[in-house]
Amino acid sequence: MIFAVLRLLVVGFVLMTAAYWLISVYSRSVRREKLEKRFDEGDVGGDRDAYIEAGMAAYDKGLRKKLIWLVYVVPTGVVLALIYILNFE
Amino acid sequence: MRILKWIFIVLMALPVFAFLHYTLPQHDIVRIVGTENRRIDFGENSIFWASPDVGTTAGTSRDVFFINAIQSNGKTIEYRNEDTGWGWPPYFKMDSFSTQTEAKELISTGAAPVWVSITHYGWRNQLFTIFPNAVAVNRVDGPDVTIIPWVNIVLLTFFAIVILMARKMWMQFRERMIDPALVEAEETWDAVDARADRARDKASGWFGRLFGRK
Repeated sequence: MIFAVLRLLVVGFVLMTAAYWLISVYSRSVRREKLEKRFDEGDVGGDRDAYIEAGMAAYDKGLRKKLIWLVYVVPTGVVLALIYILNFE
Repeated sequence: MRILKWIFIVLMALPVFAFLHYTLPQHDIVRIVGTENRRIDFGENSIFWASPDVGTTAGTSRDVFFINAIQSNGKTIEYRNEDTGWGWPPYFKMDSFSTQTEAKELISTGAAPVWVSITHYGWRNQLFTIFPNAVAVNRVDGPDVTIIPWVNIVLLTFFAIVILMARKMWMQFRERMIDPALVEAEETWDAVDARADRARDKASGWFGRLFGRK
């Protein structure tokens, strides 16, 4: 039983980490593209690289990046809820 | 060619469909006529059986609960009632004993039928002696109640979102990483080409001078 639980934990952790990594790379890329496009429209002045780096720094501190942690939280919660509902209700 | 392409697509889609059809939950409206407990020696059909009860040891043979029932169309159907535990498929079922008790309580005769919705996954196949695994047993009003498969709706929607998301991610990766790299490679190659052209011009000039012909 311990082996089966460990296997589930390890497989789940690997899958969730892969999903976390892919989503965070994608999310950063989308944000950077948006900043580039906004600058290239010409509304903001100044240095292009500085503008983009400032935008990425804001992204790193923002809520959206933290929300990606839900990739770990939601599946774990769903599995715990399923175990409870299916067996102990 | 078009037919070949479609044959290929169908051949790729069939295992996916079969896998989902086997693994996702389905509901049968049945009348339970009895329950039993049989010792099963697993052979070539062993992948169609789940795991030993949580906390017990695996072996090549063990006792398995069965639920015998009659469908609303009068045909017979048999279910196994096994724990899936922490393994695959992820039903996290560890209460096969209480499921068996519930099934025993709902046994009824044809004269006074009690209709039951059995949630199960898996297939009944006489050729390989395999049985669907009953996950839950619930009493229903009659043989023709409609059960909305919420779990399947949610899961299939989720899979569709994952596939669309993977596609979007791949497009983004291609747009931002592969295409610029290709452009860069092309520019580098053009530069090499230009250098080679110059070198050739020079060389042909040199050869031309040496041999007096082009």
